[in-house]
Amino acid sequence: MAKKFELNEVEVWDGNYAASQALRQAQVDVVAAYPITPSTPIVENYGAYQANGFVDGEFVMVESEHGAMSGCVGAAAAGGRVATATSSQGFALMTEVLYQASGMRMPIVLTVVNRALASPLNVRGDHSDMYLGRDSGWIQLDAFNSQEAYDLTLCAFKIAEHLDVRLPTMVHQDGFTTSHKAQNVRPLQDEVAYKFVGDYKPVDDMLDFTRPVTHGAQTEEDWHFEHKAKQHKALMDSPKVIDEVFKEFKELTGREYKRVESYMMDDAEVAMVILGSSVETAVLAAKELREKEGIKVGIIAPRNFRPFPFDLIRDELDRENLKAVVCMDKSAPGGAMGALFNEVAGALTSTKARPMVTNYIYGLGGRDFSIEEAQRIMKEQKAHADAGHITTQIQQFSGVRGPKLGFYETRRGK
Amino acid sequence: MSKGVLATDKRGVRELGAEKKVGWDEVPQGVVLNSFDDNVDNLSHLRPEERPYSDFNSFTATVASWRVIKPVYNRDICIDCQNCWVWCPDTSIISRDKQMIGIDYDHCKGCGVCVEVCPTNPKSLLMFTEAVDNEEALSGWPEKKKKEKK
Amino acid sequence: MAITNIKNLKEFSTANERFEGAHLLCPGCAHSMIVRELMNATDDNLVIASNTGCLEVSTAVYPYTSWDTSWIHIGFENAATAATGAEAMFKARKRKGTLPNPDAPVKFVAFGGDGSTFDIGFQWLSGAMERGHDFTYICLDNENYANTGGQRSSATPVGAHTSTAQAGSVSYGKKQKKKDIVAIMAAHGAPYVAQLAPNKWKSMAKGFQKALETEGPCFINTVSACTTEWKFDPKDTIHITDLATDSLMFPIYEIINGTELNILYRPKNIIPVEEYLAAQGRYKHLFKPQYRHVIDEIQKDIDAKWEYLQRREEAKV
Repeated sequence: MAKKFELNEVEVWDGNYAASQALRQAQVDVVAAYPITPSTPIVENYGAYQANGFVDGEFVMVESEHGAMSGCVGAAAAGGRVATATSSQGFALMTEVLYQASGMRMPIVLTVVNRALASPLNVRGDHSDMYLGRDSGWIQLDAFNSQEAYDLTLCAFKIAEHLDVRLPTMVHQDGFTTSHKAQNVRPLQDEVAYKFVGDYKPVDDMLDFTRPVTHGAQTEEDWHFEHKAKQHKALMDSPKVIDEVFKEFKELTGREYKRVESYMMDDAEVAMVILGSSVETAVLAAKELREKEGIKVGIIAPRNFRPFPFDLIRDELDRENLKAVVCMDKSAPGGAMGALFNEVAGALTSTKARPMVTNYIYGLGGRDFSIEEAQRIMKEQKAHADAGHITTQIQQFSGVRGPKLGFYETRRGK
Repeated sequence: MSKGVLATDKRGVRELGAEKKVGWDEVPQGVVLNSFDDNVDNLSHLRPEERPYSDFNSFTATVASWRVIKPVYNRDICIDCQNCWVWCPDTSIISRDKQMIGIDYDHCKGCGVCVEVCPTNPKSLLMFTEAVDNEEALSGWPEKKKKEKK
Repeated sequence: MAITNIKNLKEFSTANERFEGAHLLCPGCAHSMIVRELMNATDDNLVIASNTGCLEVSTAVYPYTSWDTSWIHIGFENAATAATGAEAMFKARKRKGTLPNPDAPVKFVAFGGDGSTFDIGFQWLSGAMERGHDFTYICLDNENYANTGGQRSSATPVGAHTSTAQAGSVSYGKKQKKKDIVAIMAAHGAPYVAQLAPNKWKSMAKGFQKALETEGPCFINTVSACTTEWKFDPKDTIHITDLATDSLMFPIYEIINGTELNILYRPKNIIPVEEYLAAQGRYKHLFKPQYRHVIDEIQKDIDAKWEYLQRREEAKV
């Protein structure tokens, strides 16, 4: 029996430590992992818990991230709770198995500490890895700070393992800005946290020898489409459970999570849609702009990147007073508009209000995102709103040195 | 041989690919295939005829159409050495209580390995074209071959 | 551990099959002979993982499974990790008391072809062996990527024609020597490593039982004659395998704890490798005058390897 870990009401934890404590409290049966900056401390901390009797489960240090996720899938098929952690190149290496895990409906929890993808090699935070996972069939939750990294990791087990969901779930936090920044975190006591997560309920358990089961069958053109359709339906239905789990978590802790977080949107004339640790920067910037210059800025932050909250985003943006929206993508778009822009613009096409929407690529490879930069972008949105049309190119880069970089002109309102 | 010991209601009725094509709402979650309809205890002590095979088990399907030639088995000559049993790649030699009792024609693909490894003289398994009736094949079984003098 | 009686074939034939027919392997394929023999060698419950390959694509194509045991396939390279992930889960649940059949004996087994074992899954296999999980990995070595139409792997021997190491007017097929996977696995310090062949059913069944009984990671390379890509008549699978073992192209031996080598089969009459090569279409170009020297080189390598194996056995190393 694992030892109880004594915790204060308020601890000072960085995001990595917060995530590792959540894994420990969920009493994960198998953690199969491989270290990579900046998520390494999650598995190191877990190793320390194991070495000191705080976990009963197996801790398997494998030879690669591909091996880590492979071990997780094998372990999950054997009927127990499974989790791991990774970042960046490791995430990229395990991508093959991410798709296999979701197609096989293995409720694995993956804590992802977001980091740029090479080349050029870079250890700092951006959202390239998070975006790489967006079609992988996983639920993706996004934590903006250490407290949320802890809370959402606990919630992730409950969501993933719910019998109506049974889908693997990622909890993202930003490399260094969240993972290595010590902040106040209010943890639950071990028994309270475990009670919230609950016992694991095996499905199609390979260790139940009275019910032999084949996992990972092949499907060709006569069956593949039906299986992928069923999987998509499960993902599209998962918000019901996500909302329930968030509600239960609020009742337990008072901390409220929504699939789309929004700030100051009621009277907003312009809005910024943004992810990760930049959300807090954006909120501060918006508050200051409202106070100092009277610009009515609102912030929208998808907490749930997958399934993408199309309906909630649309509800937030379908406001008569809202004129201009900017979508902030912290990932090199690779020859397209940013992914967040595309998602949000897609949701906007069926709104009544049809606000203008533009795209910024920012913060790549850990480039700092300041309040001043956020405000400059917000003011630009105000200029669009005043002019009645987009006054800049639709996609622009912010914070990069060299001549101004932007693409595409609007055809509306000029 | 008749289907005999392997006869079940659903045995060998479906060619691969002929199964009912259900919609996305009816396929199993996670593409899992349950081998049996009911729980099984101590499977390695259950003979095939005692098992509750599910429709997902290939045991219930047939690949007989792959075959252009078939082995015919002659009980009168067989010494139950079980060479054919151990080397059959298609689990198609039916043995019970150390006796070879026949060929599973739903699963046999007609490779001919069983005939090659049969040590009796004449062989107790021989290949015939699919069109030949087994009784007919047995009635014309060859005589014992004399060793050729070198 | 409940092992099956393998004193003779009559006893062995009383095993109840857990690998079902109407799978999609080619007629005469040795894969299923080997898999059946492994599954029949024990009464224990089995958790089996398979790499992508002939075995996997032929035994679990929706909506059919040929497996009466727990079975999992994830990808081309990771069966060793899938099996050992499951083994880790078994240990965790045993400790926590959450196993559904707590007293049921179980063995963890992974199957891979030579492509997934020697090449693409090599890292995953090496990792699993190093971690010391209690499992057995069995390579079904047919010396090429047969599932995708016969490309060369690092298990393809010198002189064989494959679609990516072709024989032609200026090429005798594959130039590089076959990777010695048995030595590499033994070098991991694995408690039991062997090379076995289905024509020698008893030594194979014994080897399987030893591997399953031995605690820790065990590795077995099995020769799996491939009628489609080696190009011989399906009825001749066992005959070709006899030629492989009797020419010593595939010596049958085991290595215990990386330090004790035992030869498990000594042919009474060692046949020239030429007979083995001549029986297969993939080597037929070697019999043209300009390539005959390759046959001599193959024979020389076989003689040297046999000499080496015997010296190791005598020296007990």
